Amino acid sequence: MAQSTDHLVDQIAQLNAARNLVLGDAAFYPQIVNGVLPLIGASTRLELRRWGSEFLAETFASPALASTQKEQLAPNVLQTLREILELPEKDPMVLKHIVQNAASLYPLVFRHIINHPAEATAWENMTAIKQDILRRWDSFPFPVKICCIKFVQRVIHVQTHGPIADPRRPEQNETSLAIVPRNHAILSLPNLEAEASGLLDRLLSVFQEESSDPLLVNATLNCLAVLIRTRPSVGNKIINAIMNFYPARQVRAPITPSVRVGVKSMERTARAVMINILKRNPNHPLAGKMQQYIDRLMQSRIEVADEASRKRGLPTEPTDGLDNTKRAKLDAETPALIKVPPLPPGPISYSQLFTLTEDRELSNFDVKQLPTDIVLKIVVPLLGRVDQSMMQQSIEAIRMRYQTIQKQQAAQPPAAPAEAEDDDDYEPEYQPMDIPEPAAEQAEAVSAEVADLQPDLVSLGPFVLPQPPPLTEDEAADIGRSAVGRVFGMLTSTGVAPNPAKGKSQQQLGFARLAGSTFDRDAWVTLLTRLATRAPAGLEPGSGKVEKGKAPISDSIRETLYRYILEDFRGRVNIGIMWLNEEWYNDRMQMEFTAQHRREEDEEVTVPLHYDHWVLRLLDGFLPYLDSRDTKIFIRFLSEIPEVTIPITKRVASLAKDPERVNLCIQSLLYLIMFRPPAREMCLNALEDVYDTYEESRPLAGKLLAKWRPKKTEEQQQQQPEGQHTPSQTPQSQSQQQQQTTLASRPIESSESNTPLTNGTDDNPNPTPPPPPQPQSQPDATPTTT
Amino acid sequence: MAYDPRLSSAGTATAPSPPPPPPPPPEAMGTTTPTTQPQPTSTPNEANNNMVAESESSSSSSYKLRFCTVCASNQNRSMEAHLRLSTASSPFPVISFGTGSLVRLPGPSITQPNVYNFNTTSYSQMYDELLSKDERLYRNNGLLNMLERNRNLKWGPERFQDWVPGQPRVEHVSKGDKGALGTEGGVVDVIITCEERCWDAVVDDLMNKGSPLNRPVHVFNVDIKDNHEEALVGGKAILDLANRLNEAASQERKTSGVDGWENGVGEARQNFDARVPDILAEWQEKWPHLPALWTLAWL
Repeated sequence: MAQSTDHLVDQIAQLNAARNLVLGDAAFYPQIVNGVLPLIGASTRLELRRWGSEFLAETFASPALASTQKEQLAPNVLQTLREILELPEKDPMVLKHIVQNAASLYPLVFRHIINHPAEATAWENMTAIKQDILRRWDSFPFPVKICCIKFVQRVIHVQTHGPIADPRRPEQNETSLAIVPRNHAILSLPNLEAEASGLLDRLLSVFQEESSDPLLVNATLNCLAVLIRTRPSVGNKIINAIMNFYPARQVRAPITPSVRVGVKSMERTARAVMINILKRNPNHPLAGKMQQYIDRLMQSRIEVADEASRKRGLPTEPTDGLDNTKRAKLDAETPALIKVPPLPPGPISYSQLFTLTEDRELSNFDVKQLPTDIVLKIVVPLLGRVDQSMMQQSIEAIRMRYQTIQKQQAAQPPAAPAEAEDDDDYEPEYQPMDIPEPAAEQAEAVSAEVADLQPDLVSLGPFVLPQPPPLTEDEAADIGRSAVGRVFGMLTSTGVAPNPAKGKSQQQLGFARLAGSTFDRDAWVTLLTRLATRAPAGLEPGSGKVEKGKAPISDSIRETLYRYILEDFRGRVNIGIMWLNEEWYNDRMQMEFTAQHRREEDEEVTVPLHYDHWVLRLLDGFLPYLDSRDTKIFIRFLSEIPEVTIPITKRVASLAKDPERVNLCIQSLLYLIMFRPPAREMCLNALEDVYDTYEESRPLAGKLLAKWRPKKTEEQQQQQPEGQHTPSQTPQSQSQQQQQTTLASRPIESSESNTPLTNGTDDNPNPTPPPPPQPQSQPDATPTTT
Repeated sequence: MAYDPRLSSAGTATAPSPPPPPPPPPEAMGTTTPTTQPQPTSTPNEANNNMVAESESSSSSSYKLRFCTVCASNQNRSMEAHLRLSTASSPFPVISFGTGSLVRLPGPSITQPNVYNFNTTSYSQMYDELLSKDERLYRNNGLLNMLERNRNLKWGPERFQDWVPGQPRVEHVSKGDKGALGTEGGVVDVIITCEERCWDAVVDDLMNKGSPLNRPVHVFNVDIKDNHEEALVGGKAILDLANRLNEAASQERKTSGVDGWENGVGEARQNFDARVPDILAEWQEKWPHLPALWTLAWL
């Protein structure tokens, strides 16, 4: 046994050497093939049969060996092959190669018998091999079955009519029925053709089976392309068979990964066949359908294979009776919904009413240009082929449109009721005038033009939004407040940053500058302060009539501003100053206005004044939080608010209660004494007060008093009564008092002289130089009169 | 026939060309084989025979599927896979191709690629040209390394559409192309593409060729992004797939030996072809990020 194995190895090695020889030079093929044949015959060992069948298959497939040589070699080989096959051979490897070889040999032998009808043995052997293969096709093991597909394809290829490239040179023509003479001794054309037709049906049956193996399907698909391409007589039959094949339909319950691989491969292969045909022949009569088929394949693949793969993690049992495969199928069978574009606004024509396409070119196409007989030729087959559901949908869509229009017309004011009722009646009147052509053909165009001329006729009319119900005052106030709230929201958000180049740009702008034109944070603050002060001036009822809980919008803005400043009074003191300046200016303007329009009889006209109230409130708001380091901010505030009143000085003086803030108090007062002459006396009084009340202030205050008011004791006596009532008064009552200040008691100054002493933040419309110092008595007089 | 200019330069393959390098004198074979059939030979051409016998005996003990790797330019992905398959511990016969119209390599900018013709430009030529153009650039983007690897594998990029299946490739063996041993017959059992576009091109081209060999071939796609890193991963994955396929194929050969196919049991009874979808599905589970595709086509 060992020896025979060695012997076998040697023999195989020899054979391989021979093979290498012919691979190197195909001229040796006849010698080698004839020499090898006896070694690999039916009675030899399996290894040798395997090698031999493979070698022979390779030989007859090789492009290096000319087909005339193959033809000459074929008869001998056929005999051997037939013997092996009828052994009966059981080894799939050998069988596989024999079937492969048979596929290569068949056209050769066929061609040979056409040209040499006398040499019948070769054809006889070939036929025997063919019959044997076809008989055992279904029982062959898998790999052989695959090769059978290819063999059958070859047989069909040969036994159908192929193209005749050049009748003068028959040797160049493809081997097919077309080159078989009608009176051939052995070959009977009708029989061969019938056999081919039967084999083709058998080949295509793989697409109709309930569940096909992807291997067989792919093998079939991949060999059909050449048939479709070169055999037009059967091409359409094959294409139709493929187009009725949907791999996704073959998916069965357990979708294993290998099932997915199979489905995907069948889809892609079917697509590849279609694309291959379309590429070669884009004008193929079935091109449209093939394209549709490709699209549908893609779609179903996405649904079944991929969808399922992504949902692999989910439980496999169907939830609520709808598992993925079922759903996918439902989707696939639902007809495509047609898209109904909305009608254009305004009056519409009949053609617009019936137009469902959005293609502008298409809707502009004038059908009248076509002669009637052509239209007939187009329309009749079209109607025959129209998709039922599409048709239904379209009709439904038009009906809906028409009903909507009818309703709208019915709802139109009865200005032209007769016209709106029935537009059909209306048409004839206009036809003779507008269109000279016969009316019957022109229905659409006519109505279109009529509609253009008579907008009311089929008019939808422009839609006018009805007036909203008037807002109640509460609602208006609420909406106003929410608007203000949003502006504040924007201020606090980081979105609106103060303009970094602010100082510079302002200098450049100079007098040409406008308030709130830069759209940065400052601009919005300006807007808000003006909104609070000027906008509602004169609209508000007298402060006496204000009911509780119904604060006017301006007060709510003020309240919000107040809170906004207090949130960070050190950073926002600027805003406070700006705001208070606006308040004060507005108060002046109001008073002036009222004074001008005042009639003799009503003495008691009052103007709601806001400055005094809000300056004290703001001061009270942040005073508790001031500490000794805030000197600069506080002094800035005091120096830049437009008016210093006695209550203000009292508030400042109260700072001295806290030993730590004595310094702050005295320095602020000193600043006002030095640089704000109109308030000097008030401040000196306050200082004296501080000196008298708080011992800690004595050293500092004493020094100042010695400088500014040498005769301290006398003055102190005079100031006493005024200072008495202040501590007891709550800020609230005081402000009430000041708000109610009668107009008569409050002196009115000219607007020029009234301009506040502000600097950078000033954006008054009339920027004037700082006014001359006010008479000191003026602010002092206010609180005393009630 | 003039599809590959190297053939004329190498002087082989086509019938009228000068004598082939390796095989024994034709007279000896021509005369000995038909007459002295089963005798153990002690012919003078032992050296040659031994070489062949060695390779054949090793391959008969361990059956090898023949592979073909395909990408767009036959430079990066297909060549990485070529390298992997041909240098594996038990190397596979492998050839490789590109499906593009031209070999395109990145240039200094996206609009200035380096373009070469398939089949007529060797990797060495490209290497030398790029080296002289801008060594730093092409060193840094890895092109020179890649070409260096490729020129050690085979002569130059080949175009799939110009491939004539069944056309003997003996000269590639004699030139020492890696993986050429076993592909002398010019046929393969498995084609693996590295991009869906290439798979489409291969399947389409095989249909156009009209399958003259009547030989089934499994065409796989393993989607690999075209960069060096992904090519490395992809090469590994392709080798894995090749091993799995080859395992199944050699099992089939063993079980269907003398005892016949009917005596096999279980999975082994199933033949190689039918197991391919399962093998690919298993493989895909392990390499989920390299989406695969497959069909059975004809050479």
